[in-house]
Amino acid sequence: MKRNRRKIHDSILKGLIYASTTVTIGILVVIMGFVLYKGLPGININFLTRMWDNETTIVDINRNPVTGENSEENYVESLGITIALEDENIIIKDIEKDSPVEDGLNIKEVPYELKEKDIIAKADKVTFRDITVEEAVAALNEGTGTIRLKVTRPGGGIVPMVISTLYIILLTLLIAAPVGICAAIYLNEYAKPGKVLNIIRFAIQNLAGIPSIIYGLFGMLVFVQNLKMQYSILAGGLTLSIMLLPTIISTTEETLKEVPNVYRQGSMGLGATKLQTISKIILPSALPGILVAIILSIGRIVGESAALIWTAGTVAQIPSSLVGSEAGAATLTTKMYWLIKESADLEAATSIAVVLLALVILLNMVSKLITRRFLRSRTGK
Amino acid sequence: MKDITKFSVKDLNLFYGNFQALKNINMDIYKGQITAFIGPSGCGKSTFLKTINRMNDLIEGVTVNGTVTLDGVDIYKEMDAISLRTRVGMVFQQPNPFPMSIYDNVAYGPRIQGIRKKNTLDEIVEKSLRQAAIWDEVKDKLKKSAQAVSGGQQQRVCIARTLAIEPEVILMDEPTSALDPISTLKIEDLASELKKDYTIIIVTHNMQQAGRISDKTAFFLTGEVIEYGDTEQIFNKPSNKKTEDYITGRFG
Repeated sequence: MKRNRRKIHDSILKGLIYASTTVTIGILVVIMGFVLYKGLPGININFLTRMWDNETTIVDINRNPVTGENSEENYVESLGITIALEDENIIIKDIEKDSPVEDGLNIKEVPYELKEKDIIAKADKVTFRDITVEEAVAALNEGTGTIRLKVTRPGGGIVPMVISTLYIILLTLLIAAPVGICAAIYLNEYAKPGKVLNIIRFAIQNLAGIPSIIYGLFGMLVFVQNLKMQYSILAGGLTLSIMLLPTIISTTEETLKEVPNVYRQGSMGLGATKLQTISKIILPSALPGILVAIILSIGRIVGESAALIWTAGTVAQIPSSLVGSEAGAATLTTKMYWLIKESADLEAATSIAVVLLALVILLNMVSKLITRRFLRSRTGK
Repeated sequence: MKDITKFSVKDLNLFYGNFQALKNINMDIYKGQITAFIGPSGCGKSTFLKTINRMNDLIEGVTVNGTVTLDGVDIYKEMDAISLRTRVGMVFQQPNPFPMSIYDNVAYGPRIQGIRKKNTLDEIVEKSLRQAAIWDEVKDKLKKSAQAVSGGQQQRVCIARTLAIEPEVILMDEPTSALDPISTLKIEDLASELKKDYTIIIVTHNMQQAGRISDKTAFFLTGEVIEYGDTEQIFNKPSNKKTEDYITGRFG
């Protein structure tokens, strides 16, 4: 009787454990499935290779007929291109070799190469709307010498956000990694145990727990406003650096703690100085752990939105400086936030989500790989 | 053979905070001999060994008073710890090769002293490994991780690593306590061989070991040197009752 009850008890508990696991895995599968189902259709080569905004440029082209053998329909001989009608716009369908459109100059006299899929119009007419392709061919062939075109390169791609994300990762790690690693070395190798050290540790632990929006607010007030950096990758990078420092310090310190003390004694016993011991023995032994800390930090940078929206802004552009109006940059995540909130473009948002998911999985795999390598080199096999 | 003093210790006291770990130690250690420190756990023998190359500097809250001289020079007042440790090398209880190749382990000491030339390093590595009687066993796997060889081999690599900095004195802190009997025997033979060129001080738990290899033996108890003299005399005719009790296995 008693034994029977114990058996039932056991089965119930076991069932609960299994159910919990199933729920967890189920949630993961549902989320991944949902994001992939909604987002994948939006991912194509244009999405991955284009700028976000349509980009309109006035381009001068020195016409130089490319005759060749081309007998295709709607071939513009004077420009060496084939055009077509798409969504009521005239677009470049095909570019011949040695076509003069490859050597276009924009108004600032900077070379601007036309590409396939660019929307073109003669600059003296506002658009090529409501004209047939044949009329467009005639208009483009009209006259000789330089022709001024209004070129619209279609956007809808995530290139600026990918590049901005990379910039911000790089900038943040350049600031946070050396500072964090040095601080961890100080705490683990130099600081004398006592009240001060306890206070520092307490501060670090609490800093790690502060919601990122508070870092964002701080960054906006200090970097963006007081230091007049405007929405910029530097303001964003600095804010994220401050946010990540506690994590980098404590992860690195944990790794340093795991370096066996006998290594330190062995090195000191051979007449090495403390700095030599740190740089030649301790840091190399701790390197894999430090790399994992950095990869985890990259993961957090990629996923961060609250700390960046008010520091790096939500403009989809490739930043061309560290501070100022040219430096504002939306990362993939902040752009996603902006898309959902401001333009309700949920399709593009889920497509970005797919890219982010892929990125996070990749980062996790790399950190696993490093950890495994590390274990292998430790045991010497 | 006439005894030449290498280390001279006078009125040495050592405290961990308020706890006195070494009490009023006076001792001369002689060149070209093996001196063994024996005694039960916690008697201060390892602590004393660490005062000789100032490894206790690395421990928080240690204060030392009294004098220790090496060739007549006070190691605490007239010498810095780094250059002292290049003259007084140390082998530890647990084999502690660094997580790098055998070659890099042995070349570590010379490298931190600024030797960069590959030929010179090659020579030092080979010479040290030969001296440590392990060259034949590892010459084909110098690039392999030093942690991949057996414990006894690791300990001899560590000895080679110490020899590579060409010290005058080698301190061995229970170097065989983690090893099997055969490896232990190899290390003991090695120590007897090395005393031709080096002064060796060995801390051991194993009295037979002290009896087998040492010339002088010091018996420690609760931070004091109870008796110090020729090994033969200590083991056969100890003059102190406590020494006799320990040697004959009545405690410890």
